[in-house]
Amino acid sequence: MMACALFFVVALFGLLVTKGDQPVLDPRQVRLADKFRPPLSLPNRQAVPIDALPRLGVYVLGTDELGRDVFARMLEGAFVSLSVGFVAVGIAVAIGIIFGGIAGYYGRVRILRLMSVDTLITGLIDVALSFPAFFLILTVVAILRPSIWNIMVVIGLTSWEGTARFVRAEILALREQDFVQAARALGVSGPRVILRHLLPNAVAPVLVSATLGIAGAILTESALSFLGFGVPPPDATWGNVLSDGKNYLFDAWWLTIIPGTAILVIVLAFNLFGEGLREAFNPRLRQL
Amino acid sequence: MLSFLLRTGWKKLWTLFFISVISFAVIHLAPGEPSQIDPMNPRFTPQQLERYRKAFDLDQPLHIQYLRFYRRLFTGELRSFKDNQPVLPKIVERVWNSLWLFLAGTILVWCAAFPLGITTAIRRNSVLDKVTTVVVFALISIPGFYLAYLLIIFVVQTFHVDVIGLRTFGHQGRNLVWSFMDRTWHLVLPSVLGATAGIAILSRYVRAQMLEVITSDYVRTARAKGLDEDTVLYKHALRNGLLPFVTMLGLIVPGLVGGSVIIETIFAWPGIGRLGYEAILSRDYPIVITLNFVAALLTLVGTLLSDLLYMVVDPRIRLEGVE
Repeated sequence: MMACALFFVVALFGLLVTKGDQPVLDPRQVRLADKFRPPLSLPNRQAVPIDALPRLGVYVLGTDELGRDVFARMLEGAFVSLSVGFVAVGIAVAIGIIFGGIAGYYGRVRILRLMSVDTLITGLIDVALSFPAFFLILTVVAILRPSIWNIMVVIGLTSWEGTARFVRAEILALREQDFVQAARALGVSGPRVILRHLLPNAVAPVLVSATLGIAGAILTESALSFLGFGVPPPDATWGNVLSDGKNYLFDAWWLTIIPGTAILVIVLAFNLFGEGLREAFNPRLRQL
Repeated sequence: MLSFLLRTGWKKLWTLFFISVISFAVIHLAPGEPSQIDPMNPRFTPQQLERYRKAFDLDQPLHIQYLRFYRRLFTGELRSFKDNQPVLPKIVERVWNSLWLFLAGTILVWCAAFPLGITTAIRRNSVLDKVTTVVVFALISIPGFYLAYLLIIFVVQTFHVDVIGLRTFGHQGRNLVWSFMDRTWHLVLPSVLGATAGIAILSRYVRAQMLEVITSDYVRTARAKGLDEDTVLYKHALRNGLLPFVTMLGLIVPGLVGGSVIIETIFAWPGIGRLGYEAILSRDYPIVITLNFVAALLTLVGTLLSDLLYMVVDPRIRLEGVE
């Protein structure tokens, strides 16, 4: 929980100091004279022009193969990685709520007298679960060209099944309850009943799967980077810093260890946070 | 019983239909319209586009394209763009290599996940439980390729063995024991890496299920009868605690393709994951599309198996249709 909050702060701080025309810490400044400097090393003042010197006086986390400041790149990447996670999960949750809501609430409506809406949507969920998600993402990204937006959308489109299931189950369980009947008797429209009266009851499982989803999306992005289909170069993400760095594992350990550990810590934080939420929301375990 | 079988079969047929439609629809994401020829992009030459149009009948209406695609696939007429070999035999050949990895990984997962999940559920909030929780979550939180690199360096520097590929190159004449050990060493790292995520996820499932079971009324009744703790846990509770085994059986299959892409790429393992990755790199669309289809199909078979197993294991499901 603390680590997640800290990550948000770091990401926002990173956005502030690395964006704009004249950023405080420039993640794109190339200094060929100062490549592969280990962490906490001093810049070479003879070879590097004054305006390219690191603002902090030292390379806090070292420099990479082009002499770019890894600290600045990590700060920039924090925000990009975070937004990949959030947008992807946002898309997944939105689709999940729409499908789950329709399947749960309008499930008995029949289409063309062939099958019910519920059968159709649970069928779609089964289909989506059958595909190997990572390979499908890879296929689509490879066909469409990797860009940060494509990656977010594709990850989102392939990870909505869990949310849809939870929402559907919750609405099915509550559909016949008195408060829903009352709302309907007052003339409240279907979508409004779903959103205002039923959905709040499903917040717990949706929140849990969203938290775990952010962790998953950050990992998927780094795996795509490793295969060369990640967020393309000018933008730094923790995934592509790591996958660029691994080529120099024996010469410059910090290029691999720093982003790798950063991803591990942050994904772990989100996973543990999600698990904590799950246990907190489960009334059965609270009694123990 | 029969009605349950029929209903399941009917549902699976529908799923199969949708799977085939979606696998096919992926083609239409690819550049295929003449307006998309970009003179600046060397990848989309007119020749390649022509080949692509011909392979997928892009000049026909959609439903004809769909029917012809699957007819070609099953008659062996659909050929790889790269070496002009029929697609299906090419994939089947690679499946055998992946199967080794998959089996070793699955056995590792089962041997580790069930004892871990059950023990941590029984001793909830103990030191063991907390440590396992953190370790298990660390395993799913670490990027796979990062862990792979660290492990390769560790193993190669400590044991001085070769771990990349199916076997060490250039030692075909060595004796049986040597080649067996060699194969084993090559199998260990990729299967352990492939199993980490599975161990982590399955052990959490087992733990959750077991917790659900040991807090339920019938276990309390068993205790109230005065049965000793071992009988309660291992005879009454464990039976229901093993249900995730059946559920996961079907969902473990997509990992055969999806999860193996990275591991097989790192270890140069000639399986289907690597075949898929190479096909994607070389824009070999017939292979890519068929792989998605085959993987989804395998998963469908897996879930069908787990549905049938459920019917055997869990009488509640059999009775559901009768009411």
